[in-house]
This record gives sequence, C-alpha cells and structure tokens, in this order.
Amino acid sequence: MELVTDFFSGLGFPQWLAMASASALQIIAFLLVVALSVAFVVYGERKILGAMQRRQGPAMVGPFGLLQSFADLLKLMGKETIIPTQANRPVFVLAPILMLVMAFTAWAVIPVNAQWVIADINVGILYLFAISSMGVYGVIMAGWASNSRYAFLGGLRSASQMVSYEVSMGLIIVCVLLVAGSLNLSDIVMADRPVWVQIMLLPMLGVFLVSILAETNRCPFDLPEGESELSGGFMVEYSGVLFTLFFLSEYANMVLMSAMTTVLFLGGWLPPFGVEALAFVPGVIWFALKVCLILFFFIWVRGTLPRYRYDQLMRLGWKVFLPFTLLWVMVVAGSLLVFDALP
Amino acid sequence: MNNFNPVEFSAVFPELFMAVAAMVLLVAGAVRGNGLTAFISWSVLATFAITAMFLLGIDWDSRTVMGDMFRMNPFTGFIKLLILAGLGATTALSVRYLYEEAMARFEYPILILLAGLGMMIMVSANNLLTLYVGLELQSLSLYVLAAFRRDNARSSEAGLKYFVLGALASGMLLFGVSLVYGFAGTIDYSAIGGSLATFDGMPVGFMVGMVFVLVGIAFKISAVPFHMWTPDVYEGAPTSVTAFFALVPKIAAIAVLMQLLYGPFGGLSAHWQQIIWFLAVASMIWSALAGLVQNNIKRLMAYSSIGNMGYALVGLITGTPQGASAVVVYMTIYMIMTAGVFAIIMCMRRGERAVESIDDLAGLSRTSPLLAYAMAILLFSMSGIPPLAGFFGKLLVFQAAIGQGFYTLAVIGVICSVVAAYYYLRIIKVMFFDEAAEPFDRQMAFAKRAVIALSVIFVLFFILKPNMLVDTARHTASALFSG
Amino acid sequence: MFEALAFYVFASVLVASALMVITARNPVHSVLFLILSFFNAAGLFVLLGAEFIAMILVIVYVGAVAVLFLFVVMMLDISFADLRKGAMQYVPVGLIAGGILLLELISIFAAWQFSPEASKNAAAPTPEGVENTVALGRLIYTDYVFAFQAAGMVLLVAMIGAIVLTHRQRPDVRRQKVSAQNARRPEDVLEIQKISSNSGV
Repeated sequence: MELVTDFFSGLGFPQWLAMASASALQIIAFLLVVALSVAFVVYGERKILGAMQRRQGPAMVGPFGLLQSFADLLKLMGKETIIPTQANRPVFVLAPILMLVMAFTAWAVIPVNAQWVIADINVGILYLFAISSMGVYGVIMAGWASNSRYAFLGGLRSASQMVSYEVSMGLIIVCVLLVAGSLNLSDIVMADRPVWVQIMLLPMLGVFLVSILAETNRCPFDLPEGESELSGGFMVEYSGVLFTLFFLSEYANMVLMSAMTTVLFLGGWLPPFGVEALAFVPGVIWFALKVCLILFFFIWVRGTLPRYRYDQLMRLGWKVFLPFTLLWVMVVAGSLLVFDALP
Repeated sequence: MNNFNPVEFSAVFPELFMAVAAMVLLVAGAVRGNGLTAFISWSVLATFAITAMFLLGIDWDSRTVMGDMFRMNPFTGFIKLLILAGLGATTALSVRYLYEEAMARFEYPILILLAGLGMMIMVSANNLLTLYVGLELQSLSLYVLAAFRRDNARSSEAGLKYFVLGALASGMLLFGVSLVYGFAGTIDYSAIGGSLATFDGMPVGFMVGMVFVLVGIAFKISAVPFHMWTPDVYEGAPTSVTAFFALVPKIAAIAVLMQLLYGPFGGLSAHWQQIIWFLAVASMIWSALAGLVQNNIKRLMAYSSIGNMGYALVGLITGTPQGASAVVVYMTIYMIMTAGVFAIIMCMRRGERAVESIDDLAGLSRTSPLLAYAMAILLFSMSGIPPLAGFFGKLLVFQAAIGQGFYTLAVIGVICSVVAAYYYLRIIKVMFFDEAAEPFDRQMAFAKRAVIALSVIFVLFFILKPNMLVDTARHTASALFSG
Repeated sequence: MFEALAFYVFASVLVASALMVITARNPVHSVLFLILSFFNAAGLFVLLGAEFIAMILVIVYVGAVAVLFLFVVMMLDISFADLRKGAMQYVPVGLIAGGILLLELISIFAAWQFSPEASKNAAAPTPEGVENTVALGRLIYTDYVFAFQAAGMVLLVAMIGAIVLTHRQRPDVRRQKVSAQNARRPEDVLEIQKISSNSGV
C-alpha cells in the first residue's frame, strides 16, 4: 500500500489524491485478477468434470479450449435480456448486481501476501463474514422479483439454507479466532499455532468445507438451483447479461470462499507446513495454489456426490453441525485455557 | 480466572444453582420427552428447596458483588426465601393439575424455575440493568406460562394480552431508565442516589424518568390504573398458573419497588409519595368496587390481589423502617393466604373438569365440610377479621401509615377493606347457606392438602407468636435503610 | 473532509431509506429499505470508530434477522392498503396522545439538567493501547458478566417459549430415522433366491 502511495506522491500528487489513486489501482488490480480467475475456474471445472466423466471437456476455442469461457461470455452478452412483465423490475435487476458486488467487495480485506491487502482493518474476519452473509439477498430477491413459483421456491430454499449454515460457520470462525487471538486476517495467518492446536482445528476445517458448499449453493447443496425439480431455481427467469452476472458471482463466491478457507485454515501465503526451504516461492503463489486446492475440492465434490434432499440438508446443518461446532468451541477454548496457550 | 473471588461467588451461588438446574432439567426433558413431566416437577421443587438451603447457608451481610451489579443483604435474602417458598408451593400444586388438564409438558416446571430465577435476580439487583434483565426473564416466562394451554382460546388470549401490555410496561421502564441515566450518567443504584444528593433544585428529567420506571413496575404489581390485564389474564390462564401469578411475582415486584424508592429514588420521597398515594387509593377503591360484581372466582382473586397490592403500597408509602417491615409482613401473610385459597380453587373439579364460578361453591359446607371451613377461615383472614393473620397484616400497614400522618389514606384503606369484606363474605354465604350443588370430585392430591393445611394453620395460629415474623421483618427491612 | 462527506452520505441515505420503510407500498420493498438503513447505520458506526458494532450489526441484523423478516414477508400475501383501512379511525386518538407526549418530552428536554456527578459517572475512557473490540469484550465478559449471562437465560426462555407455544408433534407423519437407515444391512432385508426359468416366483 505504502509503496504504491509513495509512487503516486513521487509523481507530484497531493497526499489524498495519491492515496485515492493507489486504492483505486489496487481495487482495479484485484477486480481484474478475480474476474480472470473466475473465467479459468469455469474452464477448469468443465475440464476436470470432463476428465472425471471420461470426456474431453471444452477443447475447441483456443489452445486446449482455454478461451472457452470468453466465448461463452460473449455469447451470453449477445443474448437478449428478458424481464418478465409480471416481475418486479427494480428488484429483478438489482438482485444479480448486488450478488456480484458482494462477491467482489469481500476481497477488500483478503491478504494475498504479507502486506498485500487493500484494507487491513482490525475486524477483517467479521467484515468477510458480514459480506458473505449478504450474498443471500441476491438469491432471495431474485427469487421473489421473478414472480415465478420455481424461482420463489429457489429463493426460499436458499435463504433458509444460507442462514442455517452461517450459524455453524460463525462458530467455526470463533474457534479460529480463539486460536489466533485477533480479528485481523493477516494476524490470523501469522498467528503462531502449535501442532496440537492445528490438529484440533482439523475437524473444524472439515465442517467449514461442507459449510462453504452450502453457502455458495454448490453441489451437493445446490437446491436453490435444483435444475431437476425447480428447473434452475432462482435464476430460471434470468437471461442475457443478468444471467451472466449470477453466473459470474457464483464462481466469484467460490473463489472467495476458497480464499477465506485458505486464510483461516491453510496459512494464507505462508509455505505449506512451515517448510522454510519453500519460502523462496513468492507468498502470492502459495496463496493461489491453496485457493486452487480448495477450488478443486469444490469441483471434485460436484463430480462425485448426488444432490442432498432438502430435509437432509437442514438436518445436517442444525442437528449435526451446530451442536458439533458449539461443542468444539468449548473444547478449543477449554484446552487453550488449560494448556495456557491462549494468545 | 485470576480475579475469581469465592466470597463474591458465594452470594450468587443460589441463582447460579437454579440456572444450572434449569438447564440440566431442560436437557433431560428434551431427551426423554413429556413422560418426565412429573419427575421434572418434583426435581424443580427439590431445586427450590436446595436453593433455599444454599441461601440460608451463605452470609447475609450487606454487600454488592459481581462488579456492583448484585446485592446481597438481609432484605434480599428474606425476600428470596419468600419467593422460593411461593415457587415451591405453586410447583407442588401444579403437578397433579397438569395431568388433570392434559397439559403435562415438561417445559412447565422449567419455566416456573426460570421465572423464579428472574425474580431472584431482579430482587437482588443493584443496578438498573440487572433489574431489567431479571424483570424480563421473569416476565417472558410468565407470558409463556399464561398461554401454556395453547389450544384454549382464552389461555392464548391471556398470554397475548399479558405479553402486549407487559412489553409496553417494559418499554416504559426502559424509557424511564434512559431518562434517569441521562440525568445521573449511571445506572448503579447507589451512584444514582449519590448524584441526586449532590444536585440542588428540581431534577425534572429525572423525575419524569422515575415516573416511567414506577409505571413500569406498577404494571407488574397490577396497581390501578395499570391493572387492565390482570382480570383477563387471571381468568384465562390455567389455574395453576394463576396461582403462581397471584403469589410470587407480586412479592418480587414489591420488593424491587421498595429497593428503588428507598434507595436511588429516596431523595425524591416527597414526589413519589404522591404517585404511590394515588396508586394505593385507586387500587383499593377499584378492587373493592369491581370485586363486588364478579362471578368467576379467578377474576375475583384478580381484583383481590389488586386490592392487596393497594394495601401493601399503603405501608410502602411511609418510607420508614416500620412501614417497610409492615409491607414485608403483609406480603408474607398475603402469600400464604393466597396459596391456601388457590389450593382450594384447584380442588373445585366436577366430573373431571375444573369449575370456576362462585355458584359452584354452593353448599360446600355440606358436601365437603373441611374444605368449606378451610376456605371460610382463609377468606375471613383475607377480609381482615381478627384474630386471623390477615388482620395483623392490615393493622401493621395502617399503623405505619397513621404514624407518618397519612390519615386520609388509612381511612380510605379501612373503608375499602370493609367494602371488600362483602365479597369475601358472599363466598362464605354461598358455601354455607345456599342450596347444595353437586359435590366436587373427591380425589385430592397430597400437595393440595398440605398447602391448605399449612396455610390454615398459619392463619389461625399467627396470633400466638406474631413477633416471630414481625421481628424478622423488622430486621430485614432495616437493611433497606442502612445503605 | 472525507469523513464529513461519508457521514452525510450515510446519514442521508439512512434517513431516506428509513422513511421509505414506512411509506413503501410493497412490504417487501419496505424490508429491503430496512436492510439498506441497517447498512448505512453500520457505516455510521464505522465512522464513529466502533467497527466491531458495525460488523455485528451487519452480521446479525442484515445477515440473519432481516433475512428471516424478508422470508416471512415474502410469503405473506398481505395488502397494506387493507391493513390501513381500519387504522384511520384511530389516527386522531393517536395524534393526541403522541402530541401530548411530544410536548411533554420537549418541555423536559428544554429544561434538562445534569447531575453534577453525571459526567464523572458516565466517563468510560477507552483503555489505552487496546482496540475497541477487546475493550468491548472486557466490558461484556468481565464487568457485566452477570447481566450478560442473565440475558442469555432470557434468550433461553424465549426459545423455550417459542417451542412450547408452537411446536406440535404430528403423529401422522413418518419421520426419517437416519440411524435406523444406516443400521440396515443387506443380510437383514435381502434374500437371494434362485428362480428356475419358466416357473414363476
């Protein structure tokens, strides 16, 4: 941050303009990277799913089909945006925009390397949690504004699903906070975690991975879309650019959640398992690799598991995860206290 | 961890024990279901007994603990014992009733336990925040209890009415608290008193805040004109819940009122005395008049409790240790009498159904004479006929009022109690001189017999050793004035 | 300068959206404006340096409470016009009561006086070298732990109450027993038989 600001000050900018330009530059850089990564996540998903199902996946556009996503994007942009006559127009248009904005806003606090963060605020994790809990509004608004049964059902499902899983996600975050002793994401990455503490957080990682599947409406919890019974759920009425926004934000959310997992559990930009010899690789590469690992998990699960039934989903969230995470918060807090390992 | 203080901890131990017991029993009930209702009820009763023992076991010296939020002194200790006794009596009374009325759900005793916890907390409050939290804990439990028979329209209506008006009262209380805070910059009882003492002039904002706080509490003790909910809620709620409402929350609320008026608001006694004067007079007159036309015995008891609060306020208004001890004695006697009366009301069952009309008591002296005589004694006592206990309660209260020059108040009180005696005596007339109605069902649970017997014995023989209670009350009440 | 600008943006949007909450014809729009006003309130908290409260406001009110609100309002088919129909007859009474209260409040606040000890009592300086999340934590979990725990009991009662008053055991519904399903083994339920052809089972 200072580096970029100094650069602009060097150009003779006044202080406030230098800071503003630096922030703007950083934001644009982040946006570009995230948007590009989304394109390749889509490509990667199709390739990996193809490999899992013994097909080729996209192969025609560009070398190895690498440009497929861009072709799709162009195609979607070229389509007509249909807004149903009975739809609630402002809300209908606002919903996908809101969702995409939320998916991108959250990146403001994610540290991709030491000091590489737009806003190094001291309640970063709460900010992240707050923004990710806002994501539900896009879905629920879309479902309601479409004025269609299928879309509405999708919206309702999504609302209850996300609220349910946020509860246990919150408790998981509390566990991590107890260990790190800070709400700042960079501090959480840098926090000194003994091995036994890491082992204790392992079950939380498992629960967290499942919860982010539910939070992003991804398979096997993609009931809000539920193309087999709701024929697309909350986005059944969307087309053209608005649909593209939903599509983008779904994948942007996936990347975001992967980044969140990386920061909370996988040590962010630090080399894996604290191996000093690997420290020569830039932190941002490690960060990207870890994010890719989680993204692969997303796709792998999609290729493997059938969709959950709705009541099963709720049972898992309320009757399994919630009690378990609650218990685990106590276990973590208690053992940190007993072994005098509180930060 | 490092500032853990066992002495501090011991003062809140009874409350802590109740909270833990409530949670343990709740889990037991949630796991095993409604089959455990009787077991949990008796466990709750045992919890009250054990809590009382803990309470007796700890040191009652005046002190504030938990960061000055919690106060322990002989007054709070005694009032809490009283509350526990009332809670125990109502729990014991309700076990059989729950089964008879097919509402045996394990949450019932637990809600009573939690309501009790709320009352204990509000009585021990040394801070308006603790007071509010305790008040809300008890009120919320009471709302649910009032609507406990949820398939019954009247019970649901009672719960809803109570909830809406109670929430309004809580809102007023909070608004008053905010005004008090605006003046004093603190919500700690003693600090409020201190900030008032250093201020010369009329603290208008503070007084308005005090009025709002008093209104909030007047709702809880159902003093006229804040009594509208009482008859409907008493009538609609299941009888065991009505008994609970009549017995326990009133004591807690009166105790809170005393602590507030003699503590933080003590500097404004000339002002709050006017308010209390009005509340007392209105309650006594209105209950005496409205009680005359009631046919439902639960409604009648509602008006009776309104009137009794009026008499208690007569003692409270004096602001002297004598008056305060009179209130303590009055509330104790009131609680014991009312417990007996409600135990008898709960015996009023005919053909497996509860009946509530006064006419249903007709000729009780022939069908079940013992019950009729017990009821007669209790009602005589309630109307203040010497030499029964109720007479002494009123006597002490009026003595205190006259001692401080509240002659008008005392005269109105005496007249009202004469008028009110009419509706108590009417019941006795119906029981002894009217054509006998069908007899009541013959089965009577042990708990009911025990409560009736204890309360009748107390009422009859109070005169033999009145000083036992009066001296205790005097000692207790002096704690209110010693800072 | 920037802070003043941000304040005016947040504050004006907050007031405007709060107004929209009560004037919007469509209840869903009302809830959406409510959410917007929560969000702007959070922005104001951030400007005040109370970032923890700001985030909690968003997480709790926007992320959970308002979602459930919206959830319910969306499913209700209520027309606000019908609801308002009967309300007009109470307007005079309401206006009188509200007006009297307002006058009283104005007269109180016009003559407001503080106790000489008020500023000393109310002074709660932020401890040195501690961010406000930590300072809040110390207050809640150390100074006010008793009230905090008691408030927890209040919430417990609210939960029990909601369950007591609404939960019904429905005997006619077959419930899924996961453990029973998992405990099922092929040996218990499957029987493999050889069927000779052309003879039927």
